[in-house]
Amino acid sequence: MLLFVGRKLAQTIFILLMVSIVSFTLLKLAPGDPVQMALGSEYSQEAYASLTHEMGLDQSLVVQYGHWLWGFITGDWGRSYVGRTPIFQYAFVEALPVTLTLAASALFLAILIGVPLGVLSAARQDTILDAGTAALSLTGTAFPSFYLGILLIWIFGVHFGLFPTMGFVAPWQDFLDGVYHMTLPALTLSTYFMAMIVRLVRANLIEALQQPYVAAARARGESERRVIWLHGMRNVLMPLVTVLGLQLGALLQGAVLTETVFSLPGVGQMITNAVLNREYLVVQAGVMMTGCLFIFVNLLVDLAYPWLDPRLKPR
Amino acid sequence: MSETLLVDKIARRPAWWAGLGSYIRHRPFFILALLVTLAFLAIALLGTAVTPFDPTFQDMEAPMSPPSSTHWLGTDSYGQDLLSRAMAGARYAFLTGICSVLLGALGGLAVGLMAGLAGGRTEWFLMRIVDAILALPSLVMAIAFIAILGQGVDKVILAVGLALIGPFARTVRADVLQVRALPFVEAAGLMGIGKLAIVRRHILPNVFFPLVVQATIRISEAILVSSSLSFIGIGIVPPTPDWGLMIAEGRGFVSFAPWMSGVPGAALAILLIALAIVGDGIREQMDPKQRAGH
Amino acid sequence: MGEIDHRNVLAKMLDRRFARRGLLRGAGLGAAALAVPAFGPQPVRAAEPGHINLAFIEYIDTLDPHFTGFLGAIMVHNNIFNGLLKITYDGQKVSFVPDLAESWDMPDDKTHIFKIRPNVHFHDGTACDAEAIKWSLERVASGKPTSPHAWKLSKLQKIEIIDPLTVKLSFATPYAFLPVALTGSTGRAGTIVSRAAVEKYGKDFGRNPVGTGPFRFVSWRENDSIELERNPDYFEEGLPKLDRVTIKIMNEASSAVAALMAGQVDGMNESPLQFVKALRANPNLTVYGEPEGNYSFVAMNVRRAPFDDVELRRAVAFAIDREAIIKQAFFGIGEIAYSPISPPMTGFFNKDIAKTGRGQFFDPERAKKHRAAAKNQDVIEPVFIMSEQGPYGTRVAQTVLPMLEKIGIKPKLELMERAAWVARRNAGDFDMFDLNWVGDLDPDETLYPEFHSGEDWNYPGWSNATFDKSVEEAQVVLDVETRRKLYETAEDALMDEAPIAIISHMPAFKIISKRVQGFQYIPADLFNLHTVSVA
Repeated sequence: MLLFVGRKLAQTIFILLMVSIVSFTLLKLAPGDPVQMALGSEYSQEAYASLTHEMGLDQSLVVQYGHWLWGFITGDWGRSYVGRTPIFQYAFVEALPVTLTLAASALFLAILIGVPLGVLSAARQDTILDAGTAALSLTGTAFPSFYLGILLIWIFGVHFGLFPTMGFVAPWQDFLDGVYHMTLPALTLSTYFMAMIVRLVRANLIEALQQPYVAAARARGESERRVIWLHGMRNVLMPLVTVLGLQLGALLQGAVLTETVFSLPGVGQMITNAVLNREYLVVQAGVMMTGCLFIFVNLLVDLAYPWLDPRLKPR
Repeated sequence: MSETLLVDKIARRPAWWAGLGSYIRHRPFFILALLVTLAFLAIALLGTAVTPFDPTFQDMEAPMSPPSSTHWLGTDSYGQDLLSRAMAGARYAFLTGICSVLLGALGGLAVGLMAGLAGGRTEWFLMRIVDAILALPSLVMAIAFIAILGQGVDKVILAVGLALIGPFARTVRADVLQVRALPFVEAAGLMGIGKLAIVRRHILPNVFFPLVVQATIRISEAILVSSSLSFIGIGIVPPTPDWGLMIAEGRGFVSFAPWMSGVPGAALAILLIALAIVGDGIREQMDPKQRAGH
Repeated sequence: MGEIDHRNVLAKMLDRRFARRGLLRGAGLGAAALAVPAFGPQPVRAAEPGHINLAFIEYIDTLDPHFTGFLGAIMVHNNIFNGLLKITYDGQKVSFVPDLAESWDMPDDKTHIFKIRPNVHFHDGTACDAEAIKWSLERVASGKPTSPHAWKLSKLQKIEIIDPLTVKLSFATPYAFLPVALTGSTGRAGTIVSRAAVEKYGKDFGRNPVGTGPFRFVSWRENDSIELERNPDYFEEGLPKLDRVTIKIMNEASSAVAALMAGQVDGMNESPLQFVKALRANPNLTVYGEPEGNYSFVAMNVRRAPFDDVELRRAVAFAIDREAIIKQAFFGIGEIAYSPISPPMTGFFNKDIAKTGRGQFFDPERAKKHRAAAKNQDVIEPVFIMSEQGPYGTRVAQTVLPMLEKIGIKPKLELMERAAWVARRNAGDFDMFDLNWVGDLDPDETLYPEFHSGEDWNYPGWSNATFDKSVEEAQVVLDVETRRKLYETAEDALMDEAPIAIISHMPAFKIISKRVQGFQYIPADLFNLHTVSVA
């Protein structure tokens, strides 16, 4: 067990180091810097040089990276260059809970609706119902979340005035209001995953239902419901969990746009704006957080494998 | 093995070579979807030769006009004909969607197979690279890539394709692990059949078809990522008739000219649905696990 | 020269410049305007405690007024800080009136004496006296790090404290631009900040702004909102009326418009142009927006081929159909510009300029003539860099494209994010780009830093001796008529050699719910809330 933990820890540190170096280098290679962004068009060479020095951006890249890394490890995440935001507060305390709430709600909705639809689709393969489900779920994915979000805002927010279209209310402070504010964003973000789940469940279930043991179960006279949910779904769980774990990246991607459209102050908006404004330190903090999150979730997926598919246990 | 026990309705379905008539009768959606896909492909290949207008012609007299007899699907805010743009956009959709997914799938297949088969240190190292790619938000990578390389369709394909290698590699590896544990593969290994032969005969087919399902879904993701880049204001350069770009441009007009992003969105939806059904159909017909019954 | 003399000269000049419809031209910036704090035409209302929610879609970088160049930030911090002077608008003309100053005298044309209001305190309790004002102005002029606004006070020789409530500014030359430098919305040089707070927070002052204004800063949550609260010790009696201000930071403009239409916010500080019609038609909203001191243009890189050829630049300048651009790219909003000097700059702006033949305008025949005289007769493919920024995004570039194709110029459009765009522009790595200079109050601001040889904002890299001489002279002349002639000469040189092809003057919009009362609109891209209340 200790060996396992040690190995995973080494892995995590290795990945995070790689991620941080790659993102830092990529962003530094990209043209533009925070001082230029801050000065905009009121550009004077003197002010530029002065502010660059002030922000420590005239130091060598290695020094800047080392400085950041040391700060990050010792818990001093620094401040953004221009706005002087304390980054730990901004990224970890304020932004992360918003994104986690959004992602969890979207995932919840996607599973709640996606799994039964997928099962239905598989059970009624090649019927109107099947094609309809495919059409419905795929239409959801064909519209990018920002467009869908804006559409929902105009329909449910403006035209019918049913839902709030902006801002975040923490559900742990005011549960009902939090859920109310989260409805449209979660629905927007969930469509893509819903479709993914429907497709995956359908494909894997159809495959599973042709397995000999399913036929055997049917031959034993077990009910169709039992056959599908007990024997069939067993084979669906593993690919489903794998893909969902991997989709964390896509979830975050979607979150970027959903957060922007619904004015949610989450990690997605944070990273995008920081990249666009060349706020290197904020980007690093964001990338580290999403990196950790990703590794953690996939660790859970890895741990779940043997449990989901006993055949994998002995190696 | 116990294939003969398969008595469910899927197994009893006629094989796809059993006659077109019965095929259409049993798989009307598949044929329809196939026709739609072929139609899109044809439009993509023919390009501006068949569009009613030049897709970048700005009709100064008719900006934002709703569908009419001149502009069947309306015009955008510059007076560009949406039908023409949607048709011309098919080419870019196939380009960005298929090329980047192909790039991602091939890369993912190679990395995933290598990792899944090699095991040991190679697997560790490969999977850590994949993890790092996956852990880095692909939008960050895409923005940085495009800022460094410059914009344009090819750069978008590259950026999106690279970002897709990670997910593909992970699924392929997971499938390889699963297939490797199957009794007949283990048996083949014990029987001394060459590693390459096992890969070709047993692992590749079993890994390939889940990949196809993935790919049909990923095509939409690729187009959507490119559209997201347009939302942020980078990526494909206007006035290129790219669906993603058109959807992004039209978002500010949803309240009074919904056709602007509705038309490219619908085009994308139709293509994706058709592709998904075709993908499913092909998989069901050719997947060795399902074909085994015949 | 006597005291009255100078003040009157400046007053007359300022008045004529900003008398928009010329109705109150005779009134001058007299003693009344100078000595009495202006409340504007606003009916006095009982204080209505309340809370306003606003959606701001313009980028906010920092709330340190001496370091921001963004109008979005200025709209916020103008409610936290005061200047020596402020801008007011009575529906007819924009004028400068004392704000923290009680009176403003000019013993000679290089000296300004400000008497400060007594008993004004910063939000942290420290006194705002002559000492504080001297320190603030010096922070801009010579502080470290260098303020991007330092150039506005570069002619300031010394600041003397006459008594605890009187400061004297001495300039090297007569400085007609001073009132603008001290107040202009892009010129936050005259904003007074708390020394104690700057010393306490250091670099983080922009996150912890402390001023004397009607509202105190409470919090700033990134990508979410900025909160302000009432300053109970504000020096204007009975103001502010609001208890709390929440400024929602919204990065997606169409969502902000939706929120406004759904009544979730009470106002918005700008709108994408395509929504203006719908917003005007909405019975619950009031849309403010008059043309401001600004212009949009397409710039050409004079330093390298192909646009080192003046004939080719002229061809572009005459090939652009301004009317079509306004209709197509700006949804009919804005007016055709013939030269950079904008409609609000009365005394300098000639509203009949179209009939004079001066400036640039659409003339396809002349465009073809100049194109035929150009050195390069092949199809030219210049690089046009563009970025999805501001209310216009890539719309100008896209509309100009077919117009230039008609004269054998096929720009290669390159789309990039703002950071890359700024870097490319500043490095001179482009053939063409489009931009708008906004928030100008004076021709000097409009012409000198943008087009004088070697100036930092002169991105096209243009240089012209006649132009340089005229704008230099106009800086030290106070007489309006002489200045006007100098600027005319300068503009003629500029428009003729065409480092830019000018397009339009544009309104900047403020949209406010009918629930909100007492908003004082100022066409200088300001969003002042001290007189505002919410029913």
